[in-house]
Parts: sequence; C-alpha cells; structure tokens
Amino acid sequence: MKFRLALAAFAALAAAVVLFGNDYALTFTIQLFVFVVLAYAWNIIGGYTGYSHFGQMSFFGIGAYVGVLLMLHLKWHWLGAALAAGGAGLALAVPLGWIMLRLKGPFFAISLFGLTRVFEAVSFEWDALTGGGTGLYLPPINDQRMLYLALALLCLGMLMLTYWIDNSRFGLQLQAIRDDEGAAEALGIRTTRLKVTAFSLSAVPAAACGALFAAHLAFIDPPTAFAPVMEVTTIAMVLLGGLGTILGPAIGAVTFAVLNELLWSRFPDLYYGLVGLVVIACVLFMPRGIVSLLVRSRLIAPGRGAFRRIAARSGRAP
Amino acid sequence: MTQPLLHVEDAVKRFGGRTALDGAHCSVATGSITGMIGPNGSGKSTLFNCIAGAEALDSGAVYLRGARIDRLAPHAICERGVARTFQLTRLFRDMTVLENLVAVAHTFSDRQAVERAIHAMELLEIPELMHRPAGDLSYGQRKLVEIGRTLMLEPKLMLLDEPFAGINPRLQNRIVGYLQKLRGEGMTLFIIDHEMRIILDVCDSVWVLAEGRIVMNGPPQAVRSDPRVIEAYF
Repeated sequence: MKFRLALAAFAALAAAVVLFGNDYALTFTIQLFVFVVLAYAWNIIGGYTGYSHFGQMSFFGIGAYVGVLLMLHLKWHWLGAALAAGGAGLALAVPLGWIMLRLKGPFFAISLFGLTRVFEAVSFEWDALTGGGTGLYLPPINDQRMLYLALALLCLGMLMLTYWIDNSRFGLQLQAIRDDEGAAEALGIRTTRLKVTAFSLSAVPAAACGALFAAHLAFIDPPTAFAPVMEVTTIAMVLLGGLGTILGPAIGAVTFAVLNELLWSRFPDLYYGLVGLVVIACVLFMPRGIVSLLVRSRLIAPGRGAFRRIAARSGRAP
Repeated sequence: MTQPLLHVEDAVKRFGGRTALDGAHCSVATGSITGMIGPNGSGKSTLFNCIAGAEALDSGAVYLRGARIDRLAPHAICERGVARTFQLTRLFRDMTVLENLVAVAHTFSDRQAVERAIHAMELLEIPELMHRPAGDLSYGQRKLVEIGRTLMLEPKLMLLDEPFAGINPRLQNRIVGYLQKLRGEGMTLFIIDHEMRIILDVCDSVWVLAEGRIVMNGPPQAVRSDPRVIEAYF
C-alpha cells in the first residue's frame, strides 16, 4: 500500500512539473531523472550485490554514443535510439561482466574505472566515428516534454524493478553474494550467473539513459559521456539515500540534487566542496543512509517484506 | 558390498610448501552418521572443503554415488545433493533467519520455500528466531540456523563442520537429537568435530585423520581403544 502511495506521489509530482513548471524546472527535473536512473542502476550491482564499482559511466557513455550515432546518421527517433542503446549496454555487459566479475572488492572497482578511461580515450581518438574532442551535435529537441516523460517512466521502471528485487528470492540471493559469496556458492547459489545478471540489469538502463541524456543536450563529447564526476555523484547519491534499499537511490538523488542546486546558487565558488562535506557528514553519521533514519522513525517500512508477509499468512509465524 | 554414498580416494592438497591432505581416503555409507576426528591441523576442514568444491584437489578424486564430483563447481556439487555447514558459521548476516533459509531454496515457489523454512525452524525448535537478523544471533543459535539452512536444500549428504564446537553441552545434546532424527528420516550425515565424546557416541563409523592421512577407521568402540588414535589425538 505504501509502495503504491509512493508511486502515486511520484506520478503526481512528475505531472506537476510538466503542467505547472517552467523550462528551468523541466531541465532540472530531466537531469534529476537521469541521476535517479543511474543511482537505481548502480544500486543493483553496488548495493544489492555488493560489487561497488566506478564503471557505470562506461555504459552511460557508450549508450550516449550509440544513441547519438543512430539519431545522427540513421535519423532514428530518440526513443528507438535509447532502446538500441540499452541493447548495446546489454551486449557489452554480459561478456564484460563474465570477465570482470571474477575480480572482487577494490580490484573490481578500480578496473572498471580504468575501463571507462579506456573507452573515453578511444572516443577521443576515434575522430571519424565520434567526432573526437569536438563531439557530435544533434538537432535540438525543442519540446522536451516527451523526453521528460520517457525518463519519468524509466525512473518508475527502475523503482518497480528494485521493489521486485527487494522482495524476490533473486534479490535475496544477490544479498547472499554480498554477505558471503563463498557460502552462497557452497549452498547452491549460481553466483556467476546472478552477478552477470545483476551487472546487466545495471548496465541496460544506464546505457539507455546515456542516449536520452545526449538527446536532451543535443550533443555528446568524451568528457560528457564518460564524466567521472557523474560517476562519483551517482555513488554518493546511493550512499546518501541508502545502499541496497528500494527508496534510497531516489531519496539520495533528490536530496543531493536539491542540495547541489541550493548551494550552487548561493556559493558558486564553494559549492562542490560544501556538497562534499555534507555527503561526508551524512555517510559518517548515517552509514545506512537517509532511508535507515526514516525506517527507524517508522515513516517507511523496512524492506524485504514479501517473505514476512507469506510467513504471516501461513499462520505458523510467531 | 554396496556402493558408498561418498568416497574420497587418495586426496592430496598442498598449500604452498605445506601438505594438508596427503593421500587421505574415506567412505560414507548411505543412511549412516559417519564421523571424522583428528587433531588441529590434521586436514579435516580441508577435506570437507575439497568434497564441497571450495578447494580443488591437487590429486585424488571424490565420488558421490559413484560419479566423480571433485572437478565440479561448489554450486553444482550442492545441486547433486551435498550440503554443508561451516566451522565458523557463515550466515548471511544482513538477512533474517527466515530469509537465510529461503534464499537457498532453489527449487520451490516462494510460498513452498517459506513453508519449508518454517518446518525446518520448527524441527530445530527455533521458530521464535524467524524474523531476527542473523547478525544478532548467539553462536549456538547461528549453528542451529546453519543446520536449518542445509535442510532447505533437501540434501542426500549433509557435511557438518564442527557442529558442536563452542556451544554449551545442553545445546550439543539438542543437536545430537536433531541429527539422529534426521538420520531416522533417511539422511546421511558426515561430521567432523573435536568433541570425541559426541562423535564416538553418535556415529556408526569413525575415520581418524592425522597429518593429512587416515590412520584408522572403524566403529566407535574400536576407535576409542586404538593406540594409534590415542597417540595421534592425545
């Protein structure tokens, strides 16, 4: 019931921005949605599976380039280009995950960061395809409301996907990998298959989101496509909201974006540092994120309720 | 002679310059409670790790009902009916007891998995722990939940790595009762532990491991009085 209420609130807010907001509100919200999608995507592999990494922007960037190239050369609609970019993300994530997920901890995290830098360097150098440092330009989309709607639906999709993960055995098995991968494997959990699935579920929306973001900007270049600051911001959002939770990525992204905007408008020279301090303080004092605070205050229910409910219905639960 | 459920042949495992298993062998008969004892560092846990696939043998072989399993991944060995507990409990700490059990129930629907988990908890007399986070449990409670978790896998062979270590005698006796009940239901159990008293009381057959080799095997009464065992163990 509370989840449905959250969905309804999200839909109402999203509609209000289109109906009553100005161009600034629309642009701000589009960029916020991009971060919400990225945060949810990262949360699947980093939060639920425990494989934190700095390679999300590989998929975002490649999705952006695939989308822009399809829109530019084949005159595809941005929606089709975004779907194709998601497909490209999947095609990249499966083999990459199969290879890279053999690494663990900091080795996995840093190797994916290195890979993103490789993709960035290739896109800089491959002038003929990517336009190199100059980038690629698209005809701008004058009315961005449909783009906004697509991103809103993608956010909603990610929220529902995360809800399903949180309440499914698939999700429990991802968390088993996070808690003790060796024990999970010994107890029959097919860890490699699950990790690659989680990695792919994380890559596809990131890649689709990259294409939508490029369509929104009507431009892409390597520093925008593979921006380390977007990577770090996404991870900070998830940490701020609550790692491995249903609402954490959304709450973290909204809090971070609003904070960023407020500080930027008041302290343009200092805002990055101030945002950093706030994030450090939050992670120090709320290591489980804002969601844990809301759960403790009984404002929202703790996650993973599905099996508790099934047990309660059986009549044999204490 | 009937085929054993589990047979380990000439198992050799080295870690750098140290030989943990030096040609160890053993068999576990279907429907039995088989024990393995040996001093610290004799290679008992290494043997379990090799049977369960967590460690690869350098040479030798492991057979389950005649089929070789030592080259399989741990999850594949588990799917063939071998479930294990760990010397130091390894529950999924951030999950509740119920979730720990449900997470490993691969072949059931959600409702069936929960029903089975409740049944396992009732069998082990821990239903009140159902919604407690595993990280909050006492060591003895964690031992019980680990046994419950292996029951979810409907194993043919349960490998119990020191189930009696570090818990009070009352709980030890409770666990003995549960294991005998499980054997009565047709399950085969292979236990390694330091608790000579329990192993010799509860097992049908006991293997004695010292310095990576089997020094003797036989019924508990024969093991208890064997001078090689006394020398190796004490």
